Amino acid sequence: MSPRQLLAAAVSLGLMALFGLGVYAALGTLQTKTTTAVVPTQEQALVDLPGTIFLAQGGSIYSLHNLTFTKLNAPAGNWVQVAPAPNGDVIGVDKGNGYSNVYLLSPTGRVLRTLLSDSSSSYFNNHFAYYPRVSPNGQSLFYSWNWIDPYANYNVDFEVLSVPLSNPSVTPTVWSLSNLYYQGGDVEPLPLASGGLIYAKYATGTPGNSGLVYSQLAYVASPGAQPQYLTTPAQNCSEPALNPAGTELAMICANNQLQTSTLEVASWNGTTLGTPRVLSTGPMAAMPTWSPNGSSLVFMNVPQRSLPFQLYWIPKASTSKPGAAQQVTQNLSLTATSDPVWYP
Amino acid sequence: MAAGTKPRRRRAGLSTHRSSFSWGRHRTLLAFLVVLGFLVSGTSGAVAYFLPAVTTALHVTGQKTTGTGGTHGRTGSGTVQTANPPPPGQPFTVLLLGSDNDTKFVASHVLTQTMILVRVDPQTHQAVMLSIPRDLWVPIASGGSAKIDAAYAYGGPKDAVQTVQNDFNVAVNYWAWIGLGGLVSLVNQLPGGGVDLISQMPILDVQYPYDLTGNNPYANQRVAILPGPQRLNGVNALTYVRSRHGDILEDIARSQKQQELLVAIKDAAKRMNLTDIPRIASSLGSEVATSLSPGQIGSIASLAKDFSNGNVTQIVMLSQYYSSQVINGQDALVPNWPAINTLITQNFPA
Repeated sequence: MSPRQLLAAAVSLGLMALFGLGVYAALGTLQTKTTTAVVPTQEQALVDLPGTIFLAQGGSIYSLHNLTFTKLNAPAGNWVQVAPAPNGDVIGVDKGNGYSNVYLLSPTGRVLRTLLSDSSSSYFNNHFAYYPRVSPNGQSLFYSWNWIDPYANYNVDFEVLSVPLSNPSVTPTVWSLSNLYYQGGDVEPLPLASGGLIYAKYATGTPGNSGLVYSQLAYVASPGAQPQYLTTPAQNCSEPALNPAGTELAMICANNQLQTSTLEVASWNGTTLGTPRVLSTGPMAAMPTWSPNGSSLVFMNVPQRSLPFQLYWIPKASTSKPGAAQQVTQNLSLTATSDPVWYP
Repeated sequence: MAAGTKPRRRRAGLSTHRSSFSWGRHRTLLAFLVVLGFLVSGTSGAVAYFLPAVTTALHVTGQKTTGTGGTHGRTGSGTVQTANPPPPGQPFTVLLLGSDNDTKFVASHVLTQTMILVRVDPQTHQAVMLSIPRDLWVPIASGGSAKIDAAYAYGGPKDAVQTVQNDFNVAVNYWAWIGLGGLVSLVNQLPGGGVDLISQMPILDVQYPYDLTGNNPYANQRVAILPGPQRLNGVNALTYVRSRHGDILEDIARSQKQQELLVAIKDAAKRMNLTDIPRIASSLGSEVATSLSPGQIGSIASLAKDFSNGNVTQIVMLSQYYSSQVINGQDALVPNWPAINTLITQNFPA
């Protein structure tokens, strides 16, 4: 065999080996990715919404302004919820191992104050505090906190408490008396300008359907008052959000469906809800938030089942002819259990 | 000369012809070898890629329904007890089994916290899922009566399948078992690394087992899954379906949540393809076992893509199907067999 032939053979063998490696590598590229989402700072929003919106993803908080996301410079942690606060600040919930703490953050993420500290070296003194919400007058901090039955410590339902925002270490006011029977309890407080409170109350045992837990929107005029239910068990509604004028309430309802949630809006006169209008049929609508002027709202949803949650926007949401939902983000994996915060 | 030239010419001509013929054959042979080389090389690349899947498939699939215990039905004696595979296109039934196979338990004798009968009708694209309460007090295949979750601990998949077939009068064609780590890995390996679920209530558990990591399998941890739509990774999905202490419906709620997770996994799996199998197989390791062959798994996977969630009937046995009693010091559920038989007849016809 001539040197030329030897070279040709060697090159051929090399190419064959490369081909085999190429097949291996090519097959690998055909896999579906287990990490399909990008961090928000790598994405530009599809819709230019006015003002600034704060969102949570992957344990961090981001702001969206002029189509661009910026990561808040909050301390390292697992920031799972964000909420509005006076003076353009934001409230963040940092979830630890068996507890969550609540902080007041500047718009850039600097910790201004610790509002609620529920971590403890004693196992049963750890608690979860979620859904912080400041009252419209800026005086009180409402939140859901897990109560522990001292005589049956499996029983750990949420109840709604409030503390003065200026001095949150005082003994809290108990607003809701949760069912206290392993049903999850009371969450998502929505303090009203009237001094009352709307929240989502979880219960079970509807007639003829005793096997299902459901949520109802409840209204109380004062702490500990008997709740007045705004929605029926069959509607299975939660995640209330009131428009700035206090006249329209957005909510998430299941309407007897499993694993499907719709976005609905109903008029609110201070004590009762009007007939709901469906703004989005899901499949997994979540966490509506009104725009600062109340004309539109954003919410979380998935483009299709099994895809991560994205931000959506509905123009003219308070009118009888709302616009179609528009997708604002497309490659994120937003934390769907956190309200977006929308500032002017 | 002329006489001598001709033969030389002929010889030369013959030689040229032979040489040309030989070179042509060589070229053909060479081309064939090159093509063969690329084929072998490419096939080797593909084989290497799918090797983990093949290895896992050989290890965990197509298992005989045998065993005197054993998390994977690998050991012990016995005969195939499942019903014969149905003809192609005909309805079939799979018994899905799930175990808390943490180190609190002897690996060869774990209970089945999850038993879900799934009937799939490929023609109508309908499926029915029925969760069997783990505390149901029934005659078990190894003899005597016990909670149904013990059947697997006593006799592996053979006894679990046989117990369900005997007590519920359902022909089980296949079974599949998964452990805690297997479920976490499976969900993590789905597209996007998780599933979308709507949690029906806040899930708070102050005594949730801290047994996936750490040295003490009896340790507890405090967990919280918030209500509403959300995306869950493997660990949180396991928490979602496993937690029960803070839930008024306890095992019933777990059954509901397990069925919800199965549907969510089905939805996510629609976006996967063959090339995902090695990655998933590698991650699952010995945390799964099934009597299904790789081919049958592939057929079911492609079948699942055509199933809409509206065609999946989810059934959880509520209180009308049993009564609570303490038997031999154990909190057990005594079956209301007439009600259960009616349920089975309606949803799992022979």
